Parts: sequence; structure tokens; C-alpha cells
Amino acid sequence: MTTPSLETALAALPWARAIDTRPGRIAIAAPGVDPIVMAEALGGLGLRLGTITGIPLASGETRLVYHFVAHDRIVDVATTTVGNRIASLTPRLKPASWAEREIHDFFAVDFVGHPDPVPLMRPEGFEPGMLRAPMCAARRAGAFDAATREVA
Amino acid sequence: MAYTIPIGPYHPALEEPFKVKAACDGEVIRSAVVEVGFSFRGIELLAQQRNWTEVLTLVERVCGICSNTHAMCFSMAAEAIAGITVPRRAQFIRLIVAELERLHSHLLWAGVGAEDIGFASLFMEVYQARERVMDLLEAMTGNRVNYGMNRIGGVNRDIGDPAAALAGLAGLGEVLKSVVVPAFVENVTARSRLIGVGPLGREEAIARGVVGPVARASGLDMDVRRDQPYLVYEELGFRPSVHPQGDVFARVVVRVEEMLESVRLIDAALRALPEGPIAAFEGMAAIPAGEATIRIEAPRGEVLYHIVADGGPTPARVKIRTPSFVNIPAIEAMVPGQQLADLSIIQASVDPCISCTDR
Repeated sequence: MTTPSLETALAALPWARAIDTRPGRIAIAAPGVDPIVMAEALGGLGLRLGTITGIPLASGETRLVYHFVAHDRIVDVATTTVGNRIASLTPRLKPASWAEREIHDFFAVDFVGHPDPVPLMRPEGFEPGMLRAPMCAARRAGAFDAATREVA
Repeated sequence: MAYTIPIGPYHPALEEPFKVKAACDGEVIRSAVVEVGFSFRGIELLAQQRNWTEVLTLVERVCGICSNTHAMCFSMAAEAIAGITVPRRAQFIRLIVAELERLHSHLLWAGVGAEDIGFASLFMEVYQARERVMDLLEAMTGNRVNYGMNRIGGVNRDIGDPAAALAGLAGLGEVLKSVVVPAFVENVTARSRLIGVGPLGREEAIARGVVGPVARASGLDMDVRRDQPYLVYEELGFRPSVHPQGDVFARVVVRVEEMLESVRLIDAALRALPEGPIAAFEGMAAIPAGEATIRIEAPRGEVLYHIVADGGPTPARVKIRTPSFVNIPAIEAMVPGQQLADLSIIQASVDPCISCTDR
């Protein structure tokens, strides 16, 4: 897949906002996107889901970055949960399963429709969201939002 | 008679803790469920509590085998955010250490694999060859495991005597060609235990999102070193190894061929090592606000780091996705219909790293 064709195809996606193209990486802001619609569109372009990054926000929501892999670059799609909930990709994409279970353990995100939302990393005696407070506390107050505004 | 046998977390075949619950009918496995998380250390949280230089030391301890991979990938992500160009000599040195690490990892795996199929003499031969790699790494970096070679902007230590390294490498290459390769590829005992065992077809491999040697042994022609070239792989003409059979034997053959390619790459890099500085600057790096996602080809496959910087002294987020995190779940697809006695080598064929997976 050549560089112009992927960029053109991504630019045509109705949910894609603020596409930022850098060497080796295309970052897409997709506020409010339905992850299933997003995954089906990117899968149709031949992209593979690499993993999902969860970033807990002070507001109680979680920023999710879906890392898709094209042949020669990464396509990152960033969105934010609503009520710390979002649709699960697992019924359609198996590689999402462990990533979503881990994010549930760490940040208590409810992946609606996950077929087997059992703990992955969370030890017995810990509640979902065990890293949420310490990760927010470890970050400089307010600085994170400024750093990610361009793609969030 | 149907029954479920829990294997692990203290594992009979591997050093690290993970669990496989195998549902069997007699000696045949019907299905399996893998459980991880027994070694969870919270490294991604700890990375937010240390400065950029300290995080290098931290992430190098994600894994005792691919330690260089993690430090290098983190460095590359920080360099991408800060717009730092790594000097060419440092890029060559990074490639040399990365490929030595691949040799170390694949040989360690080959030893474990030999033991799993009851081939004790091969285990000893392989570990003897691995010692040669450890000697080379120690001579170059001063360390046998966590090499401490990477810094943001370059490497910490120069290779002062490439000729000595070339001599050691030649000896290693001979041992690989004369002992390790034929022992795994031609030996009747090894072949009879590996061919047709633990199949993962191409379509299932795609559906599972597997990476690295596991993917290439299922016919997926993917390798970050070629697909999204970094360091000087493109310049040295890297060639991936791909086999379509999808069984344990194919995973062995891919790794064996990769070892020979690693020797060739290290040889070429040592001979072409350019003059120049080994770091872009002195002192600690200042990383501005920004984000980067970097992937490189670790010995077990694609590693992915997503780093967020807020301009402060510590990273705002460090996400680490290791190859084992996506390869280990594929064990569940490899074992239905297989003999319970083969479960050990099927698991091992993924080269699972629990330390990486759990972080």
C-alpha cells in the first residue's frame, strides 16, 4: 500500500478528525467514534490491530488510543470513553480481548459486549481500576491534556 | 474420559509462571485456556514516577532476555518526540547489539525446546553455543544480560575492536551451521517430535494478530526490520525468513534461519562500522510535549511502545505491548486435537515470555 493511497483513504473516513501525519505514524482524532465502525473501516484497508493504550483522565473518563498497524507504519486512533464505557472490539477482533481486559483491570473501563471480561493482570483482592488513581497522581496536573490536545 | 488438567502457574516446562487449563478427552486436548498476570509488576506506572534516563534502566528490566529491545524502543520513542537524530555509528552499534540479543534469545529458546522434547545432548550443545554469544555481548557491553547500551540520542559505549568481535562471530557461525541447524532441521528425533505438531494456519494467525517468528512460521510475510526499516537494516539488506507450514517445526526453522541472518547482519555491520560520535549530545535529554508510537522487531516479534510526554521530567504515559502479549493467546488455537504430551513443546514453540507479558 503506498503512502498517498492510505492517507487518502483515511481522510475520507467520516469519523476521522485532525489527521496528523508524521514519519512512520498517522495519528487520528476520532471523538465519539463507534470503535466497531472504526475497526471495520481500518480492517477493510488491511490494517491490523496492534493493541490499545488506556490513559486515565482526571475527569473520570479514559482516553483510548487504538494502535493499528499498516505494512509500513502505525495508525493511531484516539477517542475517549463516555461514562468510562465503550463498545468492545473483541467479538470482531480477537487481539482486542487481552488489551481490553487489561484496561478494565487498570482503569475500570467497561467494554460493553466483551464476551469474557475476567481479570487478566488484576490480582485477587484488587478492584477494577487499580492503576487509575496512582497514574493520575504521577502525572503533572493539567499538563497531560495540553500535551495531547492536538490529537485528542 | 473427559477431564480438565491445570498446568501451572508453577510450570513444569518453563521457568516463568503462567497457567494453562487443558480440557482433555483421554490423551487428546479438546481445548485450553491460558491465564497470565502472576508476575505483574506495574512497570508502566513506575515509568511515570522516574525521569527519562531512569526509565531506560527500568524498561530494560521488563525482560531478562530482550532487555536491549525495551531500552532501545523507549529511546527511539523519546528521540521521535524530541526530534533527535541518532549518529550513524550509534545506529550500527544498536543493530549489532540487537542482533546479538536475537541470537541469545533464539539459542536460549532452542535449548529450552530441546529439553522439552527430551533431547538433553542437544540442549547442552545449544547452551554451549549461547555462551559464545554471551561472551561477545559481555566483551562489547560489559554485561551479560542487561547491557545498558542505550541512551536517548545514541549508545553509552563504543565498540573499540570490531576485529575481535568478528573473530568471535565467525566461530559462532560455524557452530550454528555445523551443530545447531542440522540438529533441529535434519535430526530424525527432532523432526519426529516437531513436524505437524501445534498447527496454526495462516487465517487463524491473521485473526489472532500474532507477530514475529510465530507469524512468519504460519506464512505471514511480516518483519518490522524490512516493513518499517529502522537503524540501518535497509542499508544492510535484511532478508526475513517465512515458512507456510504453521507447525512447531516451522517455528523452529524460522528461528534457526533467523540466527544465520543475524550472524550475517552483525558481520556486515561490524565491517561497515562508520567513524563518528556515538551519541547526539552529552547529558540528560529534555523531552518536549508530544506523543510517539514506535515498533521494532524483538526476537519474539513486534514490540510496540506508545509514549506520551507533557514536557516534564518524567513520561506522562508509557505503554508497552510485547510480542508475547499477542502470541501467548494463540496457544489456545494450537492445541485442540493435539496430544497432551505435546502441550509442553507447543507452548514453548511460541517462545512465551511471561516477564514481558505481565510487565
